[in-house]
Amino acid sequence: MSALGKIADSVDTYNQFVAAEVARARRDEKFAAELRAKWAQLHASIEMTKSPTGTPLPRLALPSTDEPGAIAEFLLGQGFPGQFPYATAAYREMYLDKDSEVERVVPNALGTTASGKSPRGGDNQRHPATVREEPMRLFAGLGLAEDTNARFKYLQRNQKSLRLSTAFDGPTLYGLDSDHEGVLGKVGEGGVAIDTVEDMTRLFAGFDLTRTDASVSMTMNAPAPVILAMFIAAAKRRFGPDCVANLRGTIQADMLKEVQAQNEVIFPVDASLRFLCDMIEWCVPNMPKWYPVSISGYHIAEAGATPVQQAAFTLSNGFTYAGLLQARGVDVNQFGPRLSFFLDCGLDVEYLVLGRVCRRIWAIGMRDVFQANAKAQILKLHTQTSGRSLIAAEFQNNLTRTAVELMLAYLNYTNSCHSNSADEPFTTPTEKYALLASHGQSIILEESGVFKHTMNLFGGAPGLLALERQVEKGILDVFREMDTLGGVITAMEQRYQRSKIQEAGHAYEKQVYANQRPIIGLNKYVSHEPLPSVPLARTSPKKQRLQVARLTAFKKKHAKKAPAALQRLENVARSGGNVFGELVNTVEVCSLGQITACLTNVVGKFRPMV
Amino acid sequence: MAAASTPRNAAPLRILTAVPVCDGHDSAVTTINIELARHGIEVIYLGYHQSAAAIVRAAIQEDVNVVGLSSYNGGHIVFFKEVCDQLRKSGNADIPVFGGGGGTITHADERVMQRQGTDRIYFAGTPLDAMMAQIKKDYARVAKPNRKFKGDRALARAISIVESAPARYSLPTTRYSNGAARRSYVVGVAGPGGAGKSTLIDELTSRFLRSNPTGRIALLANDPSHPDSGGAILGDRVSAIYAQDDRVFFRSLATRGSLTGLSAAAPAAIDILKQSGEFDLIFVESVGVGQESDPFRIFGKGPKLVDATLFVLAPYYGGLIQLQKIALLNGADLVALNKCDHPMAHTAKAEIQARLDQNGKDQVLHPTTAAKHYDPGVDTLYAAIARLGGLDLVRGGEKACFMEDPA
Ligand code: B12
Ligand SMILES: Nc1nc2c(ncn2[C@@H]2O[C@H](COP(=O)(O)OP(=O)(O)O)[C@@H](O)[C@H]2O)c(=O)[nH]1
Ligand SMILES: [Mg+2]
Repeated sequence: MSALGKIADSVDTYNQFVAAEVARARRDEKFAAELRAKWAQLHASIEMTKSPTGTPLPRLALPSTDEPGAIAEFLLGQGFPGQFPYATAAYREMYLDKDSEVERVVPNALGTTASGKSPRGGDNQRHPATVREEPMRLFAGLGLAEDTNARFKYLQRNQKSLRLSTAFDGPTLYGLDSDHEGVLGKVGEGGVAIDTVEDMTRLFAGFDLTRTDASVSMTMNAPAPVILAMFIAAAKRRFGPDCVANLRGTIQADMLKEVQAQNEVIFPVDASLRFLCDMIEWCVPNMPKWYPVSISGYHIAEAGATPVQQAAFTLSNGFTYAGLLQARGVDVNQFGPRLSFFLDCGLDVEYLVLGRVCRRIWAIGMRDVFQANAKAQILKLHTQTSGRSLIAAEFQNNLTRTAVELMLAYLNYTNSCHSNSADEPFTTPTEKYALLASHGQSIILEESGVFKHTMNLFGGAPGLLALERQVEKGILDVFREMDTLGGVITAMEQRYQRSKIQEAGHAYEKQVYANQRPIIGLNKYVSHEPLPSVPLARTSPKKQRLQVARLTAFKKKHAKKAPAALQRLENVARSGGNVFGELVNTVEVCSLGQITACLTNVVGKFRPMV
Repeated sequence: MAAASTPRNAAPLRILTAVPVCDGHDSAVTTINIELARHGIEVIYLGYHQSAAAIVRAAIQEDVNVVGLSSYNGGHIVFFKEVCDQLRKSGNADIPVFGGGGGTITHADERVMQRQGTDRIYFAGTPLDAMMAQIKKDYARVAKPNRKFKGDRALARAISIVESAPARYSLPTTRYSNGAARRSYVVGVAGPGGAGKSTLIDELTSRFLRSNPTGRIALLANDPSHPDSGGAILGDRVSAIYAQDDRVFFRSLATRGSLTGLSAAAPAAIDILKQSGEFDLIFVESVGVGQESDPFRIFGKGPKLVDATLFVLAPYYGGLIQLQKIALLNGADLVALNKCDHPMAHTAKAEIQARLDQNGKDQVLHPTTAAKHYDPGVDTLYAAIARLGGLDLVRGGEKACFMEDPA
């Protein structure tokens, strides 16, 4: 049995345990009394607050029951927010308004008497695990480094903490230099063109990346080790050699989902995984605030997977990384907290609970199969609203679609969130629509009161529970199917995930064009207006040539040193050493394309699959 | 099957589909491929992240009716133009180029692209059935001889002609050669589906290219047609990473109802390739076939279709009894046990060797792991083929193999 089978079993075992505990709570007076006491204590910890219209509200809603079975069901089955199995939330407070006045409640007198008022600004002691920063994290990248830098500055105006999330252009995603034959037209399209450490320096110019509330994310996969090495080198140039440990952020680097869905693979699978694990192993001690992998379902879902498939493939990929790292001798409690996750949120009903179910399965699997401690059990979630749900016809409707998806994402208490722009079908977001997308998040979390006052609005609702059970079962079924195929990697070699995703993607399009899936403006309530003409963010040929000129100058400047640096890299790669440790040096004098070519020469090329 | 099917006598349309360089958005093209095949069209799928040069090479060698590109990562104006230009410059402007890219390609872009040679763009929201009907109407064509075609296109067209009427083929009178008449060694590759034939052929191709710096190799990949629609998705090119080279002539053949494991046109296609005098080595891959089949006619009285047969199997063949039943193991010149990274490989090796020893023909079993680059087992297998075919293992260029010639 692969680890997947064991994980599926461990979830079933845990569910049986919960059922048994619920029964015991109803039978065993002593246990029931313990539970009631605990429940009272938890209630006592809940502060009261007031809505702007004066309605008093608890800062946390717990099921209103005193029945021991129901208490056990909630505490063990769902979990107090911030507690195992984390279905409710990864942390206690999430989006609650940090600045509103709260009142402490006297124990055992629910919501009645209060003892003293206290403003909540920056109070970190009571719930230390609480995320104190806003979840908004907008993905941006276009043109050359300075263009993206300008976009970062524009978006930053609406953010409290420093949040920079980078999209790279096609050549960079495929590890090619901007002067590679035949790619000039793609330079700066769909993301930013980065060839060298100098571009990387330009990209983040003016931002203090060592601020404690700064966080940089990079959507970069096959060349992730090279790009992160450039990021480190650029940061050192600006903030000195000691800044590395303070750098905070995420690099995607999830190669399994690349093979399965996003198709940015350069090296054979084993080499890709080796380079990734080298990087994680290096980051764990050297960059304690960095997430060196973001295990992503977004691309799997956007490529066509159903929500259940998305969750099953993503979680199983995550467990596979855990297994690989453990096999390399890295301690699960060291790397566990450094893994992060990234899910899609579309309009299908399963998205009401997807984040909750994933957190729960991850926590149980990590605890019971990987023996991880509490910190290493928490699935930290980034969510992006679905790009594929946004369509060209009557594209203003995309604002509504994204708003609904944002609501679903927050209902799952995602830790961070990207909202797509309404011009998504046409172009890398233009300023206007990127701003509207960011305002969408602010309207829901800041303007509306929905998430501000009370945590755990819906957890335990009958509809959610029914969905959670079905979705969880669906995920475990997929785990077991992959288990019979020999686990994630063997299944992947047999195209299992790809063929499932493709089948589902095809089925989706068929449903749309057979009018079985209503899409307003496309197959229902159609207005027959011609496709709109929207402003496009495109990179001019002049800029593309400028990027090539910069690269040429860089290569010329380092022509003497580059060959030796590449030779050192090659030696490390051939001898089985930690490639990332060497890349940090190589990037000082070599371009992305030079490094890719060097490593390809050592490990060969990936053989793509249909 | 609800899908409209092509009348049996008409040769199916052949379309090459691909996603441009630095672009991995393959979800749309995958759906389009399935729909095209469902509508009786033969789709030769090249894959994502494909250069203009690779697309043009494939379009020529496959002699397709049309090229369909699915582009999402921007730069489409430049890229479509590059494909059209390269087709025109190589004398293949008759192959139209069309495509789609959802909302990323605008109406204004289409107008520019049409001026630069692109035929048409399918915009976001185009219903699938309408698109298929239009494609079938626009790009139907009968493959006729064309004296203007040069080089690989002439060869490819000759194969298309026999494909549309295999029974009428007699040895060609024209030679397609550019003057360098070579003798071709033809190896037929058979074995169960999924054993790794295609992967192995690709790895062998890399050995050939390395050791023969001026030689050419041809690959004929046979794949099944859909029995109801008559269409097919011919995806072998996606994984053939070493076929991305002008010294490789790669042709995909759909079986179009033939049950022998080869297209009915395969014998003629082999003949055409040999007659061309272009190729030192030709690999013909059969469809994954049953235990009794004999795609290369090695047991009958008539002439064999190939000079040597390579039988490939994977460790999970289902035990000794199944092994006994595989007829080709009696006659194959070369036998490879692929997927030697599989846990059952050790037992399989012993069982197969024993099975071969029964034949008393000194057949050697080659253990290979084609999924691994630089696999020494593949080196040994290539050396054996080279010896049979009188091919150089080292000539001018690099050695074919990373290890020494085992002989
Ligand atoms: C799905 C998707 C993804 C998935 C792709 C999964 C996969 N394996 O395909 C994921 C999440 C992985 C992804 C990643 C990226 N994406 Co994306 N993605 C999309 C999205 C949401 C939908 C595209 C799609 O597949 N639609 C479904 C198809 C079936 O429908 P359609 O597009 O309407 O097409 C119709 C017709 O045009 C026609 N058609 C299409 N192609 C062809 C071809 C032929 C031959 C024919 C006959 C017809 C035809 O068929 C359809 C039915 O009528 C679009 C935005 C959008 N909403 O359109 C962005 C979009 C294309 N992506 C974009 C970008 C930038 C990226 C990234 C580069 C982001 C980054 N920097 O990391 C990466 C690159 C990935 C890579 N490897 O190249 C941009 C492109 C911007 C631009 N050109 O200016 C878009 C527009 C989003 C945006 N606004 O930023 N993406
Ligand atoms: N593990 C392993 N997989 C292989 C090997 N050779 C091929 N494969 C995989 O097996 C699958 C089928 O290979 P393919 O070459 O298409 O087989 P064919 O149907 O016989 O042509 C593909 O997913 C290959 O990647 C090998 O040596 N080891
Ligand atoms: Mg094959």
